[in-house]
Amino acid sequence: MRIRFSQLALLVALAAAVPVRAHHAFATEFDINKPVKLAGRVTSMEWINPHAWIHIDVTEPDGKVVSWMVEGGSPNVLLRRGFTKKSLEPGTEVVVEGFQAKNGLMRANGANITFKDGKRLFLGGSNPEELPQAGK
Amino acid sequence: MRHGWLLCAAVCGAWPLLAQTPKAWTQPKTAWGDPDLQGIWTSTEMIGTPLQRAETLQDKTEVTDEEFARREARQKAEEAFDTAEFVGPQTRCDPNRGGLGNTPDTCKDGVSIGPPLYWQDRGKPQRQASLVVDPPDGRIPPLTAEAQKAAAARAQARRTRGAADSYQDRSIWERCITRGVLGSILPSGYNNGNQILQEPGMVVLRNEMIHETRFIPVNGRPHMAANVRTYMGDSRGHWEGNTLVVETTNFLEQPVVNNVPSSPDLRLVERFTRKDADTVEYRVTVDDPKTWTKPWTISFPLRHEKGYHLFEYACHEGNYYMTDALSGARVEDQKKGAK
Repeated sequence: MRIRFSQLALLVALAAAVPVRAHHAFATEFDINKPVKLAGRVTSMEWINPHAWIHIDVTEPDGKVVSWMVEGGSPNVLLRRGFTKKSLEPGTEVVVEGFQAKNGLMRANGANITFKDGKRLFLGGSNPEELPQAGK
Repeated sequence: MRHGWLLCAAVCGAWPLLAQTPKAWTQPKTAWGDPDLQGIWTSTEMIGTPLQRAETLQDKTEVTDEEFARREARQKAEEAFDTAEFVGPQTRCDPNRGGLGNTPDTCKDGVSIGPPLYWQDRGKPQRQASLVVDPPDGRIPPLTAEAQKAAAARAQARRTRGAADSYQDRSIWERCITRGVLGSILPSGYNNGNQILQEPGMVVLRNEMIHETRFIPVNGRPHMAANVRTYMGDSRGHWEGNTLVVETTNFLEQPVVNNVPSSPDLRLVERFTRKDADTVEYRVTVDDPKTWTKPWTISFPLRHEKGYHLFEYACHEGNYYMTDALSGARVEDQKKGAK
């Protein structure tokens, strides 16, 4: 039985149709054989869908500054769990453990993100009553 | 005196029962007399309840005390993971643990390849054994012979392609197109909000996931012509008592659940029944005789979650993933070619 490409696309599309939790397959985007540990300073955070990206500048041993982008969680759930724009101000020093993008760009996932003192970036607290209310 | 005792036997005995009776709730109506289901209803608390039931449970709709204790323990472990102040053995992934971020493909040297796993919504331990409630064993029925043959052919064809030869190799959810009717309402790690709005002759259902909106006529309007096909189908509703019944047809062939695409004959029947001020029971029957040997039904409660707002989920806004996946696959192609 021959399968047309459109049918193939359909069946491949099914791969993520089960109730998985992340929007996409990170293993397709990042290379598990390219682990990175980045210590840098936050320059900005993009609150964008489907996943937020944190931009950091990393100063290498020779003094060269390299800008990295780190993929995080989805903005809607970040906000619900108490993460706001104030949680990660520009200038904050962070350490990121993850894996570099397969395409070789300075992009990584951020499985572990900590402050300089080793504390995790954000301590989850899923209490909707603590949500910042709209307009405040 | 004898009457006094009798009276006391009747009233005093009943008193504790009366005292425990919850405040009566009656289904509110809209100004034009339809049952009022309006509000924001979430499936958050059902995260973690499996879609299909463990085979050992057979026809038991609720888990054993032992399994419930396991679910409670899992929630405690999640809480500990989510709130750990420092990165440590507890928060590092384990490829042998299984589950999200804990497989050999997604975990290396204690670091997961996913997003931070504590940045997602968490459910509550449930006694409900599975989201599938019919057939009585809580399992999705077998595929038809025709669907099995198609599945085998798809698997064979898939082996001839890379993970991201084209954007079409990636799912329609990854491509920010849709999660379909079922995927948009089933509990997920985020975007579990659903909003019901009503006006005379029309019910509107908004799903936070991919911010889908279905306008559902409840005024007897017939379905669209059979050749009009969409991902979210064509929905028509009617009231059965206080239950909103929504029949949806005219689907494009698309994945429904568990990697199985539907046939053009897919028909979903959803039932929304408000049980009290804070609960709408959601029930959906999946009927596609070309795909499954018999219809099957999912049911779970949608709840009023205090403080929950529906936020926009403009999925394609920053979907850098797609360019990363495609360009990453090309780099890998070059490496393979160079060998």
